Amino acid sequence: MKIGLEVHVALPTKTKLFCSDSTSETREPNSQICPICVGFPGSRPVLNEEAVRVAKSIAIALNCRVREDISFIRKVYFYPDLPKSFQITQLSESIGSDGFLELEKKRVGIRRIQIEEDPARIIREEGYTLLDFNRSGIPLVEIVTEPDITTEEELREMVFTLRTILHYQGVDVNQEVKTDLNISLAEERVEIKNVTGIKNLIAAAQYEITRQGAIIKKGGVPEKETRSFDAASGTTKTSRKKESEEEYGFIYEPDLTVYDTKNLSENAMRIPTKIAMGLAVKHKANYSTILELIAFDTGALNLINEFEEEFDFKTIIASLEIMKRFGEPANSGVFKEILGLTDQKIDITRDVLKKIKAGDKVEIKKFSEPQIDETIREMLNSDKTIVEKYKKNKNVVNFIVGTISKKYGIQPRDAAARVEGVINKL
Amino acid sequence: MDDREFKSLLETARIGLTETESETIKNDLEEVINYFNKLDGVECGNVEPAYHPVEIPGIMRKDIPKEFKEKKELLDNTKTHRLYVVGPEV
Amino acid sequence: MKSYISEFESKDKPKDYYQKLLEELKGKNRELHVFNNLNEDLRDGFPFSVKDNICVRGVESTASSKILKTYKPPFNATVVERLQRQGFAFLGKTNMDEFGFGSFGINCETPARNPFNVDYVAGGSSSGAAVATSILKYHVAVAESTGGSISAPAAFCGVVGFTPTYGVVSRNGLIDYANSLDKIGFMARSAADIRKVLNMSVGRDEKDTTSLDARLRDEPKIQFSVINQLMNGLDDKVRSAFDKLLEKLKSMDYKINYVDLKDIEAAIPAYYIISTAEASTNLARYTGFKYGFKVGDFSKRYNDFFTEARMQFGSEAKRRIILGTFVRGASVKNRYYVKALKVRAMLGEKMRRILRESLIISPTMSITTPKISEVEKLSPVQTYALDMLTIPPNLCGFPHVSFPYEYIDDMPIGAQIVGDHFNDYAPISFVENWEGKFKYRFKYNIGAI
Repeated sequence: MKIGLEVHVALPTKTKLFCSDSTSETREPNSQICPICVGFPGSRPVLNEEAVRVAKSIAIALNCRVREDISFIRKVYFYPDLPKSFQITQLSESIGSDGFLELEKKRVGIRRIQIEEDPARIIREEGYTLLDFNRSGIPLVEIVTEPDITTEEELREMVFTLRTILHYQGVDVNQEVKTDLNISLAEERVEIKNVTGIKNLIAAAQYEITRQGAIIKKGGVPEKETRSFDAASGTTKTSRKKESEEEYGFIYEPDLTVYDTKNLSENAMRIPTKIAMGLAVKHKANYSTILELIAFDTGALNLINEFEEEFDFKTIIASLEIMKRFGEPANSGVFKEILGLTDQKIDITRDVLKKIKAGDKVEIKKFSEPQIDETIREMLNSDKTIVEKYKKNKNVVNFIVGTISKKYGIQPRDAAARVEGVINKL
Repeated sequence: MDDREFKSLLETARIGLTETESETIKNDLEEVINYFNKLDGVECGNVEPAYHPVEIPGIMRKDIPKEFKEKKELLDNTKTHRLYVVGPEV
Repeated sequence: MKSYISEFESKDKPKDYYQKLLEELKGKNRELHVFNNLNEDLRDGFPFSVKDNICVRGVESTASSKILKTYKPPFNATVVERLQRQGFAFLGKTNMDEFGFGSFGINCETPARNPFNVDYVAGGSSSGAAVATSILKYHVAVAESTGGSISAPAAFCGVVGFTPTYGVVSRNGLIDYANSLDKIGFMARSAADIRKVLNMSVGRDEKDTTSLDARLRDEPKIQFSVINQLMNGLDDKVRSAFDKLLEKLKSMDYKINYVDLKDIEAAIPAYYIISTAEASTNLARYTGFKYGFKVGDFSKRYNDFFTEARMQFGSEAKRRIILGTFVRGASVKNRYYVKALKVRAMLGEKMRRILRESLIISPTMSITTPKISEVEKLSPVQTYALDMLTIPPNLCGFPHVSFPYEYIDDMPIGAQIVGDHFNDYAPISFVENWEGKFKYRFKYNIGAI
């Protein structure tokens, strides 16, 4: 089996790819539009430098060869959501090519990374469509992989790894990612167009693997075709004929020119899987735990880097897990407090967190171990029969454990261990 | 160019022709393409294709939002419904 | 040096000057179909007309196409903005061949007529611009040339028509024909007026990536090059008039040099390939619902809906869309589209070598002004071949000017001077000089004070 993907993600820019309209979230349709992104006659595109800069960074993060002189082409096809009836995109003159994505056990080739414009949002109605051009012209990169994925597991890992890398390049990975999926169990390639979201991507792949598998089992051969995924039924079906290369009739985009990308400074290159592995080796810690914490949380990684020298690594990881458990964003100011308290073996409860956030001082009752043991001894002395009873039934000391735990703010399990220790020494 | 090729060209371009128009234009097309074929014999040496007649420096735009204020004038050109632009059924 | 702009500014205008001007123009328009619309709000300022493929905010801009009927751009073309800022007054939108597709002005609903004789073509595609310049005493026309659309009508209507180096005047606001060939330029009754409006219009525009911040030169040349291959197809009358012009130039101390330019004939197919390839993508956007012509019935499925809308294109537009779609198809793209781009590079280099030392001179058109009934019979290839003299400088983006130099049977004919890239003022300077020796004739002087 061979799977290749064409993943489309929006670049984190303030303005659109070819015009100065804002890309910010808005509920009002057609409120962020201008003649350029609605394709009005007389208007023309002007390239957004930041989009190229981020695309270059992504290309580097995916180990691509970065093109120093990029240009654009027109891809002609007719659909109501495409304002000019051509999309400005890239092919051989793309920003990135010949890269790869490192998975745990293999590399998935990246054929190409191209910069292109998003069409408008289209709402299908009975007898007409509604169009919102706010989305038209949003800068996208299309990441085209080689058909190197051979199992569903690899597909999942590939998607996860790609998303973490994109997250570290500032891409909003929670947006609806549109993917075209190529799957071939036999010779001919089946393309599933426009699968929206990660869950659907996996579901579409699963369905298609089963479908093609069934055909082969019956002695048939899956046909080369374009299919679409229906999220409601979880199935794929043969879709409208896709334009051929002949029909796209690519030509150079003559309203733009050749752009030099050499002097665009790329983002810091942070590859979360590599970083997690580095930390795991350095601190003899668990790779998966670290990766899970930092994969979609650059803030968590920043905190690790900030406190790595000062605190025990396990304490940092524990503190981050506490933050995560309580849904505290990594950039919140409470981390330092939590880290300090965890370091002193103070249990962070919801109450404690509340106090920290309210700016109240968290009372740290500090007692030495002999002091705690002394209290336990005093309590045992108050009823001489207890030690005898304890040998048959450990529950008789429950009230002592409870009192100690509460008084000294230690875990009941730890308190029970202390009590047992004192009894054994008697 | 046979009829099938011509028809597929029309479909690609979303151009409809009347029968008489179709006959004339198909003939014209053949004549013009023959004329274009003259380029086959032209020796260009090692030149790169000239996408523009003069060199155009690649100046990009800074990522600073600027609102287009005349949105109403723009949308007055079209039919809208609840602020959406209305388009044909798909 | 005669400047109608300076003269106009120095004169006191009667109070009802603009109103009278409009009235007279409306009358003339019924006969000559010069304007697609006139600005009823015309007020103070030197009047300038705008070819109908250049956007004026709030004014219907159709490029003389039915498919753009009702299109009111929500913005001004940069060139319009710049002239208005200089106090010029927008007069109206001028007629043209649909989208610029034509050399005679006949590819539209109501073709403009030649002011010297209404049976004759005005030339195209900037037909209305040339006619307006020919009938109005105080006026400049903002026009546009892709393959000769300024030179040809300027020659047939007896006015000065100037096309700048590609990229020198911003194309922002131009309804595209072929983006790598389109150039906004001007027509006027004197070269001095061309110089003035060019000065006001040049300079980089951040709304057009291909607009340049070039310093234009005024490097005079005493040598004129005549390209032998271009002289082959001249009509006899044109040939003898042009020979007389060359003699006259010699008497003005210019040197005439005959040179060979191998493969110059390839400029025509190269031009038509590039221009139709680009045009067929530019015109893909006209689908009948966002602006201009409306299909109305949205329940038609989108492909049928689009095809129905595109029935509004005229025959020549359809022909060029089909041609352009063909030449950029993946299987033939290298043979046509890419080859044409290489031919452009090759010819540009050869012309540049000639233009370093000289200006290229030729008749503007190889024929005298034809009758409308004559050109209607021509096949596309015959028509395209008539652009032989205007296409080379247009294909390769060289600045050029067409100016009247003789009258045959009371009709003007024009010659064309080509300069090197960015030496835009040299051809203009020459025509300024020429105007000291030769007086242009006009049949009408509407708006004379």
